[in-house]
Amino acid sequence: MQYFRKIVHSRLFVIWGITLVTIIICLAVTLVLISHAKRIRIVDAPPKLPTTANPTDIVPAPQQINIFLLNPTSLEIAPVKAELSLYPEPTKRLKQIVSALIQEAPPDYRNPIPRGTLLNEVYVDSQKTAYLDFSHHLADGHIGGTTAELLTVTAILKTVFDAFPNEIKHVQILIDGREKETLAGHLNLSQPLRF
Amino acid sequence: MWLRTLDTLFFLLFIVILVFTTHGIAQAPTVRFVDGESKTLTDVESTLHQGIIYLPVETLKTVFDPEMTHPYHHPKKQLTLKTKGKELRLQMGETTVNIDSEKEPFILNSPPRVLQGQPMLPIEFFQKVLPRLDDVAVLYNRTLQRVRIMPKTVWAPETTDDTHEWVIIIDPGHGGKDDLGCKSQNGVIEKDVVLAVGKEIQRLGNQQGLSIRLTRDQDVKKSRIQRVQTTNRNQGQLFLSLHCNASFSPNHKGMRLYINNPNGQLRFKAAPIPVFGKKRLNILTQANFLKQSQDFASVLQKELNFLAEDPIVISEFPIIILADVYMPAVLLELGYLSNVDDATRLSNPNHIVQVAETIVRAIQIYSVSVNQSANPNGL
Repeated sequence: MQYFRKIVHSRLFVIWGITLVTIIICLAVTLVLISHAKRIRIVDAPPKLPTTANPTDIVPAPQQINIFLLNPTSLEIAPVKAELSLYPEPTKRLKQIVSALIQEAPPDYRNPIPRGTLLNEVYVDSQKTAYLDFSHHLADGHIGGTTAELLTVTAILKTVFDAFPNEIKHVQILIDGREKETLAGHLNLSQPLRF
Repeated sequence: MWLRTLDTLFFLLFIVILVFTTHGIAQAPTVRFVDGESKTLTDVESTLHQGIIYLPVETLKTVFDPEMTHPYHHPKKQLTLKTKGKELRLQMGETTVNIDSEKEPFILNSPPRVLQGQPMLPIEFFQKVLPRLDDVAVLYNRTLQRVRIMPKTVWAPETTDDTHEWVIIIDPGHGGKDDLGCKSQNGVIEKDVVLAVGKEIQRLGNQQGLSIRLTRDQDVKKSRIQRVQTTNRNQGQLFLSLHCNASFSPNHKGMRLYINNPNGQLRFKAAPIPVFGKKRLNILTQANFLKQSQDFASVLQKELNFLAEDPIVISEFPIIILADVYMPAVLLELGYLSNVDDATRLSNPNHIVQVAETIVRAIQIYSVSVNQSANPNGL
C-alpha cells in the first residue's frame, strides 16, 4: 500500500498523466476536422449524371475479334481470338482493336509489335485510308531485318482489314504523327499500304 | 580355371582387334552430288578417316563418267582410272596422281586409301582432279556436304564482253555507331557481317575483271540518299544490297532475296502520275528495271541455293533502298541473326568467302546472259 502511494505521488505519474490527456485532446480535434471536411465534400459534389447517356458512349457487350500475331511454329501471322467491348463508332473501334494488338501476346504466340509501343491516335479519311499514329517505340525498339519488319506491318494490316473489310482500304503507319520511310531500313512505309 | 583364363584372354584379344580395325574410321554424313541446275545426281555414303571424307571410286561413274573403268590391282594396291580418254594411276596411301596427258604428277593433300575393304578417294580428288579431266567446275559445300559438278562454260569469266565494262554496286547495309542493324545473342552484328561480305565480293570480283564498287567500305553511317546517289552516279549495271535478317521467332532461318515492287505482295496506294503542263512526265523508276531485277534475283537464287539447306525464296515488296536505284537491283538477306545456326554460320570467315564467291559467280553468269542476249551472234 505504501508502495502504491509512493507511485501516485511521484512526479513521473504526473508527467505521464499530462501526456495522456494531451494525446486524447489531439485525437478529438483531428476527428472533428475530418468529419467537417467530409461534410464540405458532400456539399461540393457534382450534380447527378443524367439517366439518358449519349448513344456513342454506351459500352455494349463484349464481342469476339481477331488479333493477328506470329505463330512461332508455322512462322506465319495467324489470327488469335480476343474479346472486346467495342464502341459502335468506327474510329473508336479501330483504336480499341489496334490497342488490343499491341498488348502482351498469349504464351503460344509472339507479338511482332515492339514492347513499349503505344497507339497515339487513329484517323480514317474519306478515301478509306486509315492513319495509325504509333509512338517512336515501333521504329526505335524494332529488332530490324526485312522479315521482322514484314511481320510487324502484316500483323497491323491484317488486324485492321479483318475488322474493317469494307470501311478501310489502305493503312498508313505514322510515327509520332509523321510519315516515316521505314521502321528499320528495309520496308518502304512512305505511302499507304494494302495487300 | 584354365578355361576361364583362356576365355578372358580371347575376349581381350577380340577387343584389341576391334579397336585396331576401326581406329580412325567412322561413318561420315551422306554427301549429295548436284548438277549445274542444282538437281540431285546421287547421295553417297562417305567414310571418315582422320577427319577426311572418302568416297567410293564407283561414285565417279555416277556423277562424272558412266563409261569410266577402274581396274584395281589388289596385291600392288594400284588403282587405274580410264575416263574421258585419259588414264590416271593412283597408289593407295600415296598422294601422287599420274595423269597420262600431263608431264608432272598432280599431288593431293590426302592420299587415296583402302577403307572397309575397297579403294576410296578423298573428296579433294573430286574437287581438284575432275576439272583437269574435263571442262567442269566442282564446288564443295562443307557445311551441307554437297558437291556441285557443272560445266565450266556456265560461268567462265572470259566470256564477259571486254568492250562493255560492268560496274556492280554492292551496298553493305547499315553502319556507324548508331545503325548497327540487327544483332545475334552471341554478339554478331549485321553491319560487320555485310561489310565483310561486301569487301570479299569486291576483292574476288576485281580478280575476275569485274568493277565492284561499295557504297561504304568502312564502318560509317550512310543515309539512304547518300547510298542511292553513290549508286546512280557510278552508273552501275547491277545493284546488290546486303543485309542480315531477324525475326521474332528463333525458328526462321536461311537466306532470302527481295525485289522492289510496290505492286507486289504489299501494294502501295496508286500515286497520281506527275504532270508538267499538259504532258505526263515519264519519270525513270526502279519499276523500269523490274524484269531485269527478277532475272538477276533468279540467278542469285539458283547459285546461292547450293549454300542453302532449304530453297531460297524471292519476294517482291516495296523495299526502300531499292526504290530509287535506276538499274537492276536486289536485296539479299544473308541469314537470320535471330537463329543460332545462321548466326554461327555468318560469324565463320570461310562461310563469308563461300557466299562472296557464289555472289561473284552469279554476277558473272548474269552478265554473260545479258551480253549474249544483247549480242546473240557473239559479234
